[in-house]
Amino acid sequence: MAWITKQSGTMKIERRDEPYLTEAIKQDFRDSMFPRYPDKQACTIPLLHAIQDLHNWLPYQAIEEAAAFLGLPASTVLDTATFYEEFFLEPRGKYTIWVCQSVSCEIMGNTKLVDKLSDKLGIGPHETTEDGKFTLMNVECIGACGGAPCALVNHKLHENLTEDNVEEIIEGLD
Amino acid sequence: MPLDEPILLKNIPTPPWADFADRKTLSYDDYVQAGGYASLEKAIGMEPGEIVNEIKAAELRGRGGAGFPAGMKWSFLPPQDGGQRFLAINCDESEPATFKDQVLVEYDPHLIIEGIVICMIACQLDTAYFYIRGEYHHHRDIFEAAIRQAYDKGVLGENARTGKVNERWPNLYLQRGAGAYICGEETALLESLEGKRGWPRIKPPFPAVSGAFGRPTIINNVETLATVVPVLMKGADWFKSHGKGRPEGTPPNVPVSFGTKLMGISGPVRRPGVYEEHLGVTLQTLVEDHCRGMIPGKQFKAAFHGGISMGVLATHEFEAEMDFDIGKKYNNLGLGTACATIIPHDVSMVAMARNCARFYSHESCGQCTPCREGGNWLYKMLTRIEAGDGTMKDLDLLLEIASSMGSMPGTTICGLADGANWAVRTIVNKFWDEFEDAVSKERFVSLAQIGA
Ligand SMILES: Cc1cc2nc3c(=O)[nH]c(=O)nc-3n(C[C@H](O)[C@H](O)[C@H](O)COP(=O)(O)O)c2cc1C
Ligand code: SF4
Ligand code: FES
Repeated sequence: MAWITKQSGTMKIERRDEPYLTEAIKQDFRDSMFPRYPDKQACTIPLLHAIQDLHNWLPYQAIEEAAAFLGLPASTVLDTATFYEEFFLEPRGKYTIWVCQSVSCEIMGNTKLVDKLSDKLGIGPHETTEDGKFTLMNVECIGACGGAPCALVNHKLHENLTEDNVEEIIEGLD
Repeated sequence: MPLDEPILLKNIPTPPWADFADRKTLSYDDYVQAGGYASLEKAIGMEPGEIVNEIKAAELRGRGGAGFPAGMKWSFLPPQDGGQRFLAINCDESEPATFKDQVLVEYDPHLIIEGIVICMIACQLDTAYFYIRGEYHHHRDIFEAAIRQAYDKGVLGENARTGKVNERWPNLYLQRGAGAYICGEETALLESLEGKRGWPRIKPPFPAVSGAFGRPTIINNVETLATVVPVLMKGADWFKSHGKGRPEGTPPNVPVSFGTKLMGISGPVRRPGVYEEHLGVTLQTLVEDHCRGMIPGKQFKAAFHGGISMGVLATHEFEAEMDFDIGKKYNNLGLGTACATIIPHDVSMVAMARNCARFYSHESCGQCTPCREGGNWLYKMLTRIEAGDGTMKDLDLLLEIASSMGSMPGTTICGLADGANWAVRTIVNKFWDEFEDAVSKERFVSLAQIGA
């Protein structure tokens, strides 16, 4: 929910010495991303993606580093990061399961999937298993309605899911 | 009359001409072998203004939802002033029930690139951003690879065969979204492109005058730009021999329904998928012929015929013609994305309304009170009604709240709230009996409320 802002004013930020924003990412952005846009702020979302692809989430320190690199106030980058559902400002599981809950998938029986997954993993939507392996997300239409009900597991799309094959998919992940 | 050969899906196997199972991605060479990039060659030999005129003459309307005439949009650009001018391609495709653009991206990416470059020449736009929703991971990889091929083959970049466009070498970049429906709204897309929250802008100024980075910008849907390719190759008259055409008595300045359209059908049908048909084909034909009918045991009750934001067709409206007049004729918001989800007899319309309301309350960007609060309120009420705790008064209130939200009633910045309005209102109105059955019939008058 993009308009629910998260409490961050009095938050303590955990820090580490090694930067999250690596030299390799910086170099890549200087060479191939900055020239694409009239200003550096436009690199915000691509940069957040690059950092998250590497670390699987966006620690606040990483947001500060991104802001410094783009010459922006940290609050500006945080403002953008908190708007988008794909950016995780907290650690998440190795596998994120995005189950579609929009109309086509509901008509084709997605509630059974969510129940099955919750049951099996012992977590509700927007929660992560204790071993840090799975995060379950209920999301809106993922653009694969012809294969409803469907879900993404990290970057991979699974269509025509049933209680049985969804279990197989989960069990097949190490 | 059914379409005799596919146009947009020419290279993408689709029933009744071919099998879904044979679909595969066309590389640059495959595409050229199939006659691709000939339309671009033609465009290179034309004056930019001539291209715009051809698209205008074809009366091609936008395929992203609103149906705005593309040629007219292109002619709103101010004269060149030496500064940059942009194209933003809308591949956000997040409207529930909609999955049409992704077929073009996955299987025929060069058709899209060809359309993009033609638009860049016609409108003299030097830089294009392909804004693709974050969840299309596989599609993103395919399109990135296609862009690279296009650079290698001199379609884009330094020394491109187009020559300089707006005094610069043409560039096309992919921009990855990050999970926000609202970024499909054109001005929210621009904000997101600029690295900000996807908050729609108040118009005017329109993007053609002041869009991305404050510069003139054209925003078109993927399918619209793909359609430009055959239109330019074969001409406006050929294009206008497809589709429903101009109904008798419609004045020439009123946009109508020419051409073919991608139509994605989902829900309990035997062969769901993305098909191509004339604008004006009936929903019943799509379901019974193209999709081979309903799954045994399921009967048609209703359909979201163009994404949920357009509202629903009722049971007796199964034969509705899928064209740009569908809104006027069947009391809904319009054709939308022409992607239909079929609702069978055993799914509750209260549940469908609740699903839609949850969607809008979740995806509202929060700038406008009627949308942010109204969406949430609708969701809470519908959840209550579904649980059996609603009253007749709730139904009146539902309609009242819904009809007060949106840019059409003039209470919000963008059209997201109009979607909530039409989705909820058409479901409640067209299936009143189901709602009446779901609520308690007694009309309590609370003494506390009247102050006694
Ligand atoms: C809330 C909202 C969401 C939208 N989402 C999309 C979308 O995902 N894809 C799209 O092409 N157009 C979408 N649109 C329509 C765009 O604002 C715009 O009209 C369209 O991209 C213009 O392209 P066209 O004229 O080629 O159709 C959306 C509009 C609204 C109000
Ligand atoms: S109508 Fe809703 S989504 Fe659109 S700008 Fe207003 S609050 Fe945001
Ligand atoms: S409704 Fe689930 S993918 Fe579209």
